[in-house]
Amino acid sequence: MDSTQALKAIGSCLALAMERGLGKNGLVFPVECKDAADDTCRNFCKNLEQIFAQMNETYRFAEALANGELKTEVSRSNIFAMPLKALQASLRHLTWQTNQVADGDLSQQVDFLGEFSLSFNHMIASLRDKESLEQRLKTITDVLGEGVYLVDTEGRLIFANPEAERLLGYSFQEMAGKMVFNTIHKQFADGTFFPPEGTQLVSAIHNGQVYNNDDCVFACKSGRLMPVSLACRPVITGGKLEGTVIAFHDITEQKKYQESLQTINALLEKQASTDALTGIYNRLEFSKLLTLEISRARRYQSSMTIIMFDIDKFKEINDAYGHQTGDSVLIDMARVVNANVRTTDIFARWGGEEFMVIAPGCALDQGIQLAEMLRLRVAQTTFSVPREVTASFGVAALRRDDTEISLTNRVDHALYQAKANGRNRVEAEDADA
Amino acid sequence: MKNTYDFSWKDLGDLAEGRPNLGSETSVTVYRLMQFTFKDIFSKELGREKTCELFVKAGLLAGREFCRNVLNPALPFDEFVADLKTKLIDFKVGVLRVEQADLENLHFVLTVSEDLDCSGLPIFGETVCDYDEGFIAGIFKEYTGKDFTAKEVDCWATGDRTCRFEVKPIKV
Repeated sequence: MDSTQALKAIGSCLALAMERGLGKNGLVFPVECKDAADDTCRNFCKNLEQIFAQMNETYRFAEALANGELKTEVSRSNIFAMPLKALQASLRHLTWQTNQVADGDLSQQVDFLGEFSLSFNHMIASLRDKESLEQRLKTITDVLGEGVYLVDTEGRLIFANPEAERLLGYSFQEMAGKMVFNTIHKQFADGTFFPPEGTQLVSAIHNGQVYNNDDCVFACKSGRLMPVSLACRPVITGGKLEGTVIAFHDITEQKKYQESLQTINALLEKQASTDALTGIYNRLEFSKLLTLEISRARRYQSSMTIIMFDIDKFKEINDAYGHQTGDSVLIDMARVVNANVRTTDIFARWGGEEFMVIAPGCALDQGIQLAEMLRLRVAQTTFSVPREVTASFGVAALRRDDTEISLTNRVDHALYQAKANGRNRVEAEDADA
Repeated sequence: MKNTYDFSWKDLGDLAEGRPNLGSETSVTVYRLMQFTFKDIFSKELGREKTCELFVKAGLLAGREFCRNVLNPALPFDEFVADLKTKLIDFKVGVLRVEQADLENLHFVLTVSEDLDCSGLPIFGETVCDYDEGFIAGIFKEYTGKDFTAKEVDCWATGDRTCRFEVKPIKV
């Protein structure tokens, strides 16, 4: 084969490759070197055949790199593959760097790789910012005087700050990955376990809802049920529910304070409505209850009678035996009457030695009967003074046009009549004069 | 005159004072001129093998001194490598990249691109970065306190575009 024939064959081969690409077999050198007509042509063909082989190898090498096969090798003498070897080294290093970053090494930087360096280093800068933010948040949650924990959408614990560990008595390692519904949030304050459908907190965690509860309990490791106030907020990333953050604090002291406050308030309320000497209602409370009972009687169109009574000659008892004895008589009087009125009746000390009874549902005659019965019981009672103790009773029934004042005035008038008519007796004002 | 010389970092002199105009940097050509002429003379005096051995030893000393005086050996590994990489760029030694790091077995594969000793050389068909081998081993020795070998497996002079070193501890 002479030079012209060889060049034509090579030209055809290259033209085909330019038109159709290298194909599966690559560039196939079309000339048998040994058939070349002279040494010059033979040497030329040998060199060109070698270049064809290097180009084919370079193509395969590039293809393997494009497929991410970073361990692929190419012969050292391949002059075309040299820049690709540099690329291969860079990619191997980038692979290592990526793993380093994935393991938390943010000291990685990519140098001298153009736009890729800029992008990679920008990514690292962003991750460092994020890490710094996370560190700041961690510091905040570490020093926060509030227990904070994070659960996934199923309720598995994935974070707890030191205060949460301290309050609950569990270390994070003990709680990590466990369902909070089986550990800390499983019981009501009375110790009973949650029903299968769970609670509002369970629902809030599953559905990503905002939820607050100022009266909840968490089970501590010790078994103690700690009263807590909690705030529950969903963590939503890219529109997807990632989990829920629950912040809580121990309200044991607050509860104790509230309970003591309630006790004090109840005591104060009782003191404000009770006569300190006899323990029955005082005048202030009587007035309130009288207004209430008048309203009730009017609403239900029922009868109502009030009885006012006064210990006869009480001043003499005080003068003769002293105020302490007088007080004992008042206490005994209250006890006797209290024991003989109905549970629905209202009994109060009006002032001094005067008492009042409201008898709801009683018409005047029934009120008179009640007063008579009470008068008799008093007269039959032996008081702690060496003399007879009696009382005079006035009775008045509620009239349609009565006010609290008019009704009280009329019963007072009836009592006056009983006193005027000789004491130890019952006098009544007409129902509707 | 003493028959031997003990290197000291101070012997590098005060370049700010000594080279107020030319500064602390020189050309790679001059560096290579010195290194390759040393190789020429040493190999003729001592043979190729001994010359290579001496270059590795000198590199080892240089690596240890570099680590002691330029780097911070107290840093954790990741940060130490990042610092080393930065310093090698600052000193225009080359662009260090890590391909593998087995911290358990202390086995590393590193590459140095644009290497001071070899990048751009003609293809000799054999690795030429003897000094670099010692330099890398010296840095690892100083950092870990253990003896290392750094073997150059790829070099610009063997047809690669980056020098690749396998670094391993010497098993006693």
